[in-house]
Amino acid sequence: MLEYLELISEHIDTLMYGASITVMIAVTAILLGMALGLALCFGLLSRHRWIRRPCLAYQSLWRGTPILVQLLIVFYALPVIGLDVPAIVAATAALTMNTSAFQAEIYRGGMLTLGHGQFEAARILGIGVWPARIRILIPQMFRLVLPSLVNETISILKNTSLVSIIAVTELMRVSQQIVATNYRALEIYTATAVIYILMNTVLSMAGRYAERRFAATS
Amino acid sequence: MDILTNLVNWELYLEYGPLLLSGLATTAYICALATVIGIGVGLAVALLSASPVPPVRWLCRGYIEIMRGTPILILLFILYYGGPEIGLRLPAETVGVLGLGIYVGGYFAEIFRSGFQSIPVGQIEAARIMGLSSGQIITRIKIPQMLVLIVPPSINQVIILIKESALLSIITVAELTKNTTQMVNETYAVVEPYIAVALLYWILIEGVAHIGRKIEQRIKV
Amino acid sequence: MTDSTAESRPDSAQPVVSIRGLHKRFGPVEVLRDIDLDVKPEEVVCVIGASGSGKSTLLRCVSFLEIYDEGRVYIDGELLGYRETEKGLVRAGDKEIDRVRGAVGMVFQHFNLWPNKTALGNTTLALRLVRGLSREEADKRGQRALEKVGLGDKLHSYPAYLSGGQQQRVAIARALAMEPEIMLFDEPTSALDPELVGEVLDAMKELASEGMTMMVVTHEMGFAAEMADRVIFMDQGEIVEQGPPRSIFVESNNSRLQGFLETWKQRNALFSDH
Repeated sequence: MLEYLELISEHIDTLMYGASITVMIAVTAILLGMALGLALCFGLLSRHRWIRRPCLAYQSLWRGTPILVQLLIVFYALPVIGLDVPAIVAATAALTMNTSAFQAEIYRGGMLTLGHGQFEAARILGIGVWPARIRILIPQMFRLVLPSLVNETISILKNTSLVSIIAVTELMRVSQQIVATNYRALEIYTATAVIYILMNTVLSMAGRYAERRFAATS
Repeated sequence: MDILTNLVNWELYLEYGPLLLSGLATTAYICALATVIGIGVGLAVALLSASPVPPVRWLCRGYIEIMRGTPILILLFILYYGGPEIGLRLPAETVGVLGLGIYVGGYFAEIFRSGFQSIPVGQIEAARIMGLSSGQIITRIKIPQMLVLIVPPSINQVIILIKESALLSIITVAELTKNTTQMVNETYAVVEPYIAVALLYWILIEGVAHIGRKIEQRIKV
Repeated sequence: MTDSTAESRPDSAQPVVSIRGLHKRFGPVEVLRDIDLDVKPEEVVCVIGASGSGKSTLLRCVSFLEIYDEGRVYIDGELLGYRETEKGLVRAGDKEIDRVRGAVGMVFQHFNLWPNKTALGNTTLALRLVRGLSREEADKRGQRALEKVGLGDKLHSYPAYLSGGQQQRVAIARALAMEPEIMLFDEPTSALDPELVGEVLDAMKELASEGMTMMVVTHEMGFAAEMADRVIFMDQGEIVEQGPPRSIFVESNNSRLQGFLETWKQRNALFSDH
């Protein structure tokens, strides 16, 4: 056991560096995905078919195919259309679009649960569509869907492990690199698993705290 | 029509069609096996988590939380690359099936567990008062209700499983994604392989979703 | 403000609400058939009828929360929800709808208060966003409106801490603060516990006696008998009978109306009517 801990402490710096990149990618994807997901959600609820249909198609695509495939497509397709970006950007873009499709569904469910009444009351008073959405519907919707949102955040964090495939140096890839030097696959990967579990546990606790604080009123 | 023939090189499909389809078959077969394992493990854990023995309960909770908090990729790596260190040398496909099965087992356990708990007490009380026996309550009321609660998220979980199975390509299993990557590497084409793979996964997933809807209709009656 | 239709115009004192040939279908079901109706300034109109008679749908068409299939609704002489073009009626843009609808205030059966805002917040939000009032101005007007419905001491309470009757009164104050020309009430007391109904009806009676034009869909026959200038009975999407309360509740021998009043009387056997 002692030897195991010595082994890990030797590489802990590198692992922490990898973890920090993981967190950075995840946070970026979550926030960008949130904005995109909200827009998509209202697109899905639009009364215009020419808005709804493309949104449904986008959602179907990004929810219905494996993330790995999505990552590979974005990674290889971007240069083809002239966008030569670093792998980490391509990876974050793919993760963002993926999570936006899932978040849109979460928000859509929230909006449907909220019901139409408050929106109608706002519209009848003359409040515009977007002001009504932003000031009245969205704040409440977030409180409703907080648990699902936390789950999605955990998913995103786990999905960052896949970007190691396109050579982005986050936690997964860093551990692969360590294993390449000392062949101690079992020990290193187990330690990495523990780090992921710790990150997600912190995330879950933060989520429960946020639920207690914000999901209370109403 | 000309644009279509120029944009996509249809001959590639003739040449690589069999490879892709065999990948699809492998994916389907692996996912089916992993689903069976996952449901089995999940059911066992869900039932055990109601145990009166605290350590048993903690183990179940721990198992579910670990699966929830760990990327499947790491799990596969531990089994495939770390296994040999303790003498476990399993072929890639077996690791894939086992890894996926154990991973989704955690999610199925959670689905089953909340399904068991969610039946409104009022219905059980009403049945008791009408004189139904415990056995009758279980078969006529509990199980049908649980099915309604459990089937939709379970179908959803199978779909998630199918998507996660793409990761098996990383530990060299010759399933759909790996074969597609092979096609990409050999032909240097990007458009044709990825259109095909997206389509094939979509067909597989839609198929499962369709079966799922049929099952849901059946159990609602 | 010019209304360029060639349709028959209502006469004399311009009606606040004017409905011509209104039709509404939900799929194959015709929910409103050929409705013609005028509501004059300061008039209190009560609409009664069984569920499914179309009365709520009628109200929602007047506020353009439901889109009607045929016919026209005029607010203060202006066409609501559509524009006249050479090709016929074209749906108007949101801004245009909001402008014409500015004269209409509405109170809903389930209050529809915004839970994340206080009573004052609910009442002042539209004043600030739509009328562009400053926070002080809006707060003053909001406070006046809330005091009017008897909730001057609940300005900073959230809806979750108010009773149903109080919530509905906040909803009334919210609509009132915008100084509408007509207030629509969609079964305002149907979702309330019986002992809370009175406070809401009292607030409505006060409004009526001050000369507010009101169109009320309700099951409260007592309120209709007491406060209405005109009672409209609807059945299966049509206006079957209308007139002063006396002609509806006492003198009419329309069979459908009798049938409806009979079921109501049976269910309210404890209470003697007019």
